[in-house]
Amino acid sequence: MLEARNLIKEFGELRATDDVSLRFGVEEGEMVFIVGPNGAGKTTLINLLTGLLEPDEGSVVMHEGTGDGTVERDITDMRPDKRVKEGLVRSFQIVHLFEEMTVRENVRTASLSNHGRISEMRSLDDEHETVERDVDELLEQFRLKDVADEVAETLPHGDRKLLDVAISFALDPDYLLLDEPTSGVGSEEKEYVIETVVEASKEQNVSTVTIEHDMDIVRDYADRMVALVEGRVFREGSPTLLDTDAELRRTLLGVTEDE
Amino acid sequence: MSTEDADADGPRRFRLMKGLELTSRQLFYVFVGVLALFLVPEIQGFQSSLRVRTVYLGLCWGIAAVGVNLLLRHAELVSFGHAAFFGGGVYGAALAARYGGIEEAVLLVAAGVLVATTLGVLIGWLVAGYLDIYFALITLAFNQLLFAVVMGSPELLGSDDGLSVRPTSELSRPTVFGLELGPAQYEVLTYYVLIAVVVVTLVVTWRLVNSPFGRALDAIGQDRTRARFIGIPVKRYVWGTFVISAVYGGLAGGLYGLTALRARPEGTLFALRSGELLFMAILGGFQTLLGPIVGGVALTYMLTELRFATEYWEFATGFALLLIVFLLPNGVIGSLPAIVDGLRARARNPAKVSGDVRFLGGLLGSKLRDAAETTKILLFGVK
Repeated sequence: MLEARNLIKEFGELRATDDVSLRFGVEEGEMVFIVGPNGAGKTTLINLLTGLLEPDEGSVVMHEGTGDGTVERDITDMRPDKRVKEGLVRSFQIVHLFEEMTVRENVRTASLSNHGRISEMRSLDDEHETVERDVDELLEQFRLKDVADEVAETLPHGDRKLLDVAISFALDPDYLLLDEPTSGVGSEEKEYVIETVVEASKEQNVSTVTIEHDMDIVRDYADRMVALVEGRVFREGSPTLLDTDAELRRTLLGVTEDE
Repeated sequence: MSTEDADADGPRRFRLMKGLELTSRQLFYVFVGVLALFLVPEIQGFQSSLRVRTVYLGLCWGIAAVGVNLLLRHAELVSFGHAAFFGGGVYGAALAARYGGIEEAVLLVAAGVLVATTLGVLIGWLVAGYLDIYFALITLAFNQLLFAVVMGSPELLGSDDGLSVRPTSELSRPTVFGLELGPAQYEVLTYYVLIAVVVVTLVVTWRLVNSPFGRALDAIGQDRTRARFIGIPVKRYVWGTFVISAVYGGLAGGLYGLTALRARPEGTLFALRSGELLFMAILGGFQTLLGPIVGGVALTYMLTELRFATEYWEFATGFALLLIVFLLPNGVIGSLPAIVDGLRARARNPAKVSGDVRFLGGLLGSKLRDAAETTKILLFGVK
């Protein structure tokens, strides 16, 4: 389980994250969706959890093991690359890819890192069999096999999103934090991207935390939903709140129910 | 079916070592290249403009440029201060000769590598977190700092007179593998040793950039944030690479000292030399392994030999460099495939040559029109 404890982050006057305490991956493979209007502090929260930003106050804690045998580890001061090795992986709203590499090389580089072989100075020969097998599986799973030898920067937007997620899965995550995996993707492709992500997460028992603006997707896929407003946790619970909680609907969707 | 297709189907490959395979044609080029280098001392006998000394110094600069290129091509970091390590190498050798009483060439070079590596570890640690213009400026600042230190200590480091790399005993030059040699033998033997070093350097670099570590460097260069978030300790890796490139610089500087026999601040440590190192990499083709070596020899040749050929050597050097940059944007080595393809196409279809003439004429015409326009604006203030 991944826990945010009383996280506070300020940018000048603005309190982007205001005393946020949340738990993710309470059960293994749990899918949590974060919703909220622009500027609610959704991305800041993910940045704090993954170490891209340091909190002003509060801590990030990882719980290992289950039942009575759980161990708490404070990872607030841990470098991002170390957190990745601990199974805490993220994607970005604006995809970050290795643009001049092919699709296959992108995934392979992540896989080499995952298998602890990225520091090797021996030549890249056919000696990384487990890596190659992983890469092939991922390309298959994320339906990137046909474009495996294309250079990343030439890919269409939907494939770029998928590649970004495929890179994340190559890192064998326990927790996967996805910052708007479907943003900018056409409505037809959207379903396809999210479906692929969900399938892969279920298969590998990955707990996900996803920022999402499309409420239909949240309704369909969320085990739990967190609504952030002005840096604070506004609501937390079942996605059915989207239909039942009038105040939430007003704040989030601008819907005002008559009567 | 053309011969190119036959090549693509799978030419015979020769496995030199694990992971390093060459086609028979590549192997042939390597053989010719190394042979040509080995023949330089022979040719010097009857063609005095091809001087072993110049090729030697050029190859030294080339080795340092290979180090610079490791950062430039892969981590996409522009160092404006790598003369610090080249100079550090030369001064390391000089210090060992002057204060350590060392006479053996191998040990002098080792001293150079030691000094440059130490500098690389320190400076690298301080610059590894910076990017782009900040990285360039900070490396430049450290380079200038070292230069100032040398200039400011006439007793210890000889200020702008420099330091001799010659032994303090009655020997006039270092021993090589324990042998005391005359000037001619010394020149040829150190030159052959240098060629061996160049070959080893290239093979090592080839292995490095084609390893997982090399891929990590590419990743860092292409998207530093993503690299961190696939678990690469970016700062450590940049630091490591910086140190490796400093080792190349020190090795090159030490070897340079063996032939220059004097460490001079202007010639080896001044920041302008850092710029030249970058230029060598780009001139030869920084997207290639061999480019920096070729660029090193070519630029050194222009800078040292052209002055004997023409009074306007500085102008000629500049002009030659401009031509290469404009006509061969991928550098000498990087443009070879395109040049060869172009020549082949023209051999098959001579009519294309007239197209080239038209293209060049058009280019010249448009440049002249631009120049006339600019002159008019300057003179009359209007178009």
